[in-house]
Amino acid sequence: MPIHVLDPSNETSPPIGELAPRLNSLAGKTVGFISNGKEGSKGFFRHVERILREDYGVANIEMRVKSNFSAPADPHIAAEIPQWDAVITGLGD
Amino acid sequence: MQLSSTIHEADDFDAIQELYHSHGWTDGLPIVPPTPEAVMACLEWSMLAPDHLIGVEPVRERPITAEKLATNAVMAGCLPMHFPVVVAAITAMLQPEFLIHGATASTGGCAVLLILNGPIRLELNTNSTFNALGSSDRATMVIGRALRLILINVLDVRPGEIDRSTIGHPGKISYCVAEDEEDSDWLSLAEQHDIPKDISAVTVLAAGAPRQIMNEWTTKPEEILETFAAEIRDNMRNYSIWPGNYAIVVPKQLREHLQAAKWSKQDIAEFIFKRARIHRREWADVGKGSVVRGRGDTEYAALESPDQLLIVAAGGPAGGFGAVIPPWLGPKSHAVTLPIGACLDCGPPLNREKIEN
Repeated sequence: MPIHVLDPSNETSPPIGELAPRLNSLAGKTVGFISNGKEGSKGFFRHVERILREDYGVANIEMRVKSNFSAPADPHIAAEIPQWDAVITGLGD
Repeated sequence: MQLSSTIHEADDFDAIQELYHSHGWTDGLPIVPPTPEAVMACLEWSMLAPDHLIGVEPVRERPITAEKLATNAVMAGCLPMHFPVVVAAITAMLQPEFLIHGATASTGGCAVLLILNGPIRLELNTNSTFNALGSSDRATMVIGRALRLILINVLDVRPGEIDRSTIGHPGKISYCVAEDEEDSDWLSLAEQHDIPKDISAVTVLAAGAPRQIMNEWTTKPEEILETFAAEIRDNMRNYSIWPGNYAIVVPKQLREHLQAAKWSKQDIAEFIFKRARIHRREWADVGKGSVVRGRGDTEYAALESPDQLLIVAAGGPAGGFGAVIPPWLGPKSHAVTLPIGACLDCGPPLNREKIEN
């Protein structure tokens, strides 16, 4: 005789945000960096910044560091994102 | 009451095990089949509708319903009488100060330590003495395991998915202890948080593995507690320097010396607050000299204030073995204590018969 059992998983889909339209070019653009603030993130973002400026002609880099590396970006950082053309978030453990 | 989870069908007990393992729905151990009847029994015991929203995980906005908690609690081996503790523990973990996403996702690999207080310890036949932090009894084992299965299945906290722990620790299987309130003169942890003795309570702490200490060679409170403070200082050097909710587990043999000398939990906390401190330069002694950075004389305390120390009376009757349980991430995640099945500031509890009628 078959046994009936319940599915233990959440069975709801996480809300998915809408991706911004893809940029045709990074030249002259403003790119925001959101770092988790850990030690390893410093070198990582320095390197990414150099690539973006030298190889892709990015005009401005706006660097922001979360106040808590284990929590989502602070609201004041999230509020700035619409002012940027692109954003890169990264962590460095 | 109508359950809404997808129902799976399996031929026998072994097929159920393979079904759940194959979906990544277990912690690797066998599970108790969560039949609709068993899940309903948990919900009915706690008088919760299946779709009752316990809370919403704040980062990925995942809803957590009573039905999903009950399903995972049954899988962990919980009986209906264990379920109210599970509900209270998850509710506590969803308080913002606990920082549930960080605490369950971090490379730091902490577990959720549960500390039980009040009458429910006796109702569930918990054991606060022998092997208190190990497999001491059925209730604490299955309640602790239920939390882990809920994290795995309801919030996708699986190793390599949301759970990014580098090494983790065995408390991530089950990490639950009931305080020994019968054999102690001290206020219980819940009473220290203004929860009356006749109300059951649960405390959750994002916690590292227990660090065992031993001092059977003195009866002086200062010397006993210096051993605990030294272990905390070691943790500050070797793991994390930041202050937070440290817990210490004090067994009967050491409690007898402390209580004979009339030391209260408050006295102990004030002593540890003063003694559990290091200078930043001590990082250089353990291979971390590169981050001292000219600030070697800066002093760091393990506790921001004495009341951050959680003092838990537990352990077998013989042996001067205690434990320091360090916080996962200093001041960024805080211990939360909540009453179980009671609301202390929302009027008299509802009468069970009235609800059923």
